[in-house]
Amino acid sequence: MHALQRLKFSTKINLGTTGIVLFLSLVMGAPVARVASQALVDEVKMRGRVLAESLSVRSADPVLAQDFLRLKNLVDDLRGVSGDIEYAFILDKAGGVLAHSYPKGFPVDLITANAPGPGGALSVRLLDSGDERIYDFAVPVRVAGESFGTARVGLSWSRARAPVERLGGIILGLAGGGLFVSVVLSTIFARQVTRRLNVLRTHAAEMVTGNLDMQAGGELARNCWDIMDCDRKECPAYGDKRRRCWYVAGTLCLECDGGPFPQKLESCRECPVYLTNAGDEIQDLTETFDAMAMTLKTHIAELREAEKVLTRQQQIMRTILDVTPDLVSLLDEHLVYQACNRAFAASVSREVDEVVGKTDADLFPAELAAGRTEANRRVLVTGERFQTETRREAGHGERWFHTVQVPVFDRDGRIVGVLRTARDVTQIKDYQDQLIQAQKMESLGKLAGGVAHEINTPLGIILGYAQLLQEDVPEGQVREDLGTIERQAKVCRKIVADLLGFSRQSRSAKRDMCLNNSVMETVTLVRHSFELDRVRIVTDLDERMPVLYGDPDKLRQVWMNLLTNARDAMPGGGMVFVRTRLDTGAQKVTVWVADTGSGIEPAILGRIFDPFFSTKPVGKGTGLGLAVSFGIIKEHGGDISAHSPAPADFGLPRGEAAGEQGAGSVFEVALPLDHGERDDEAAPEDGGAAKKE
Amino acid sequence: MRKEYWAVGLAALALLILAVGWDREEPATRVDLSRRVDITLKTQTEAITYAYLPQYSHSISFERHRLLVEYLSRVTGYPFRQVFPDTFDEHVKMVERGEIDISFSNPFIYIRLARAGARAFARIVEESGRPDFYSQIICRKDNRAIHTLEDCRGKRWIAVDPSSAGGFVFALDYFQSHGIKRGDFTEIAFAPGPGGKQEKVVLAVYAGKYDIGSVRNGTLELVKNKVDLDAIRVLAESRPYPGWVYAVRRGFDPNKLEAIREAMLRLDAGGPEAAAILEAAHFKGIIPATDADYDPIRSLAGRISQE
Repeated sequence: MHALQRLKFSTKINLGTTGIVLFLSLVMGAPVARVASQALVDEVKMRGRVLAESLSVRSADPVLAQDFLRLKNLVDDLRGVSGDIEYAFILDKAGGVLAHSYPKGFPVDLITANAPGPGGALSVRLLDSGDERIYDFAVPVRVAGESFGTARVGLSWSRARAPVERLGGIILGLAGGGLFVSVVLSTIFARQVTRRLNVLRTHAAEMVTGNLDMQAGGELARNCWDIMDCDRKECPAYGDKRRRCWYVAGTLCLECDGGPFPQKLESCRECPVYLTNAGDEIQDLTETFDAMAMTLKTHIAELREAEKVLTRQQQIMRTILDVTPDLVSLLDEHLVYQACNRAFAASVSREVDEVVGKTDADLFPAELAAGRTEANRRVLVTGERFQTETRREAGHGERWFHTVQVPVFDRDGRIVGVLRTARDVTQIKDYQDQLIQAQKMESLGKLAGGVAHEINTPLGIILGYAQLLQEDVPEGQVREDLGTIERQAKVCRKIVADLLGFSRQSRSAKRDMCLNNSVMETVTLVRHSFELDRVRIVTDLDERMPVLYGDPDKLRQVWMNLLTNARDAMPGGGMVFVRTRLDTGAQKVTVWVADTGSGIEPAILGRIFDPFFSTKPVGKGTGLGLAVSFGIIKEHGGDISAHSPAPADFGLPRGEAAGEQGAGSVFEVALPLDHGERDDEAAPEDGGAAKKE
Repeated sequence: MRKEYWAVGLAALALLILAVGWDREEPATRVDLSRRVDITLKTQTEAITYAYLPQYSHSISFERHRLLVEYLSRVTGYPFRQVFPDTFDEHVKMVERGEIDISFSNPFIYIRLARAGARAFARIVEESGRPDFYSQIICRKDNRAIHTLEDCRGKRWIAVDPSSAGGFVFALDYFQSHGIKRGDFTEIAFAPGPGGKQEKVVLAVYAGKYDIGSVRNGTLELVKNKVDLDAIRVLAESRPYPGWVYAVRRGFDPNKLEAIREAMLRLDAGGPEAAAILEAAHFKGIIPATDADYDPIRSLAGRISQE
């Protein structure tokens, strides 16, 4: 059956026609042959009966007269009448053969092979001699109601049926001829039909490949505007030779329905245009196909335009989603991810496509996934919007996220999903902390400044009196004690000065200065005492250093702080490496102070610039050094940062660092060559300096 | 279409063809035609042969005389067998050769038989009730050319047989007695073929093939079912002559003859069996006869022969 389905349509028509003709030939030919055969049998029997009865009647007198010659002539004449008369013979009353048609000898089996029926009725019996079949007819020879013998005639069935076989041959020939003619005609018919179907098929194949401009139906000689003598050029059918008017919607003909095909076709049935141009079913199919192709083409064009718009909108949407740093994701009602943006995918170390179809359990650690699932489910159940701030450990630090979960509704108002956005607010959190710290520092600075300011006066008096008393007392224990008071009072004044500096109580005195000089002054100042602590200072200064606008004192304080911290980081001795570089392109100078000490713990690296943060024991440091330095550098529009351990490409002098302890740390101070305050602030600064003087 | 439908359709078609078109074999009896023998007839048993002059077909001859022959066989105790000569001449010759013991013939034949030594011993009473018979000359009633015997001159005449008494000889004598001779006729034909010659004459005239015909009396009654007798006109009738005669061949056993004659004459006495026998034989009776009864015939024959 599958092979049959794969046959060509024309072959199927041929096979069908052949099958029908064969079927009819069989159904009609077989009964005809049968009826003919039966008729022949009946005819043979009738003929045999007539011949036998005739022989019986004609042989009555010769039998009575015992006229064997006449009997012999009778049977011979009968035998010669027709080729299918196999034999004829006459028996006497006792069954003796009186005459027979055989030239030599008589087959004795024939005598008993058949006999008249009861009452002298005709008996017909089919005999089989092996070579052929013979109908034997037995009729009594009766005179005056008395039987004087039997007349027997044998008709060869094999020869008698020759006409039937000829008839069968004729029927077979006619059937074969009819079959041939029907196959030829059906082939012509099939070609006519399939030629047009093939045009349709080709058209369909072209449509599949996207070619919708083909026209299967040919142009007609007369179009609707010709037939109707119409000049309404605004009618959509006017001038359209590709489609019949009944395929065109919105035609302006008065008789037209005006609706679309095929609804309008009802109004076209009686239209002269339809009656003139409508074809057969295949023509209708072809033209419907053409109309469909045109409609399809229009629809496809519209779809493509819509697709373009959709794609553009999708791209915009995708771009918006992907460029936003927020983690955006969409989950369905089963909490399976349906979409996400690139930031979300990156946050779970996946591609966007990999996230779709996953659940929280697939993307997050079990505990976190359970929390997220619980939160999402709550949105699905309540239909309310939730927002939370969550903290996540990430790498070396922690990250804060502001998460918003919004239910997604379908057209029926049913909740079909959850839209979840998470924004990284770590920086804002830091700013909040720094703001709080700054406010704290500001309060503390004001407090410390006020206290220092108040302490400064009595401290000056204590120092002054101590110095005066030293002059008044002879050398001795008292003078030494006064000296101790004086030194400790100076220490206190230094602390007070730091506090005042921290609280910005002191004024900047910026001027043109040389950075290298500032650095070298400090280095020279501390080099000797450092060496006592087995700390060497190595410098690598950029000779091209231009004049910098800044406060030399405060900068020296910075260098001093950095150098002192470096020395303190190396209690067993080591090296301090000072390097300056001019970056003309970036319009900045950079100072690096590196040590070979134990370095700074990563955990506290971010807090070393906080005021009062110190790792030193009580009494060894105030925790204000780096905070003050930070303030001074910021005041100069620069930036200060710390790196620990020192970057591998930092470039510590080879050999110098070898054997030194620790990975050390590097403080990097970047100062702008022109921080933009000179013109604006020079006057007040100068005024301030002047005022100081 | 599903496969099941195809199968059902094909099966139905096959059944249809089988039911309608199949040529069913007829049972045949097996015979061996190669086993052949030469046929020889059994010799017939000795019997008294009885022959009826073949004026009719053998079947009619048999049918008419069957009961009489059976009666004679039963009554006399001698076996009888009818024999059927095809012609009058053969009949005469068979009597001459002794192949016919008892001959039943017309008187004209009898005088020939008598010349061969046969002797009459009985004669029949015709259905007309008379022991004699005569000839009838017939023509078509619508034959406008024939109104009187004289009109027969120059006409075509068909008769039964040159030896037929009632069918030819009586009529010929009648014509001659009226001055009409054989040569006056355009043609004198005789009924062709064996048997049934009386009927053939009537049919030939009826068909118009001949203008006049001569038959013995009683023949017209015989053919009333074959011929419209209204179309036939009896033109003339001859004088009557002694009827048909039973003769015995020369040399037949006189004892047997006597037994036969007695049995035959007994039939004339009546009785149901006799009536059936006589009716079948188309007689009214059988009466004794002598050779002298047929002298008128002899004289007739003489007249004819002189002509």
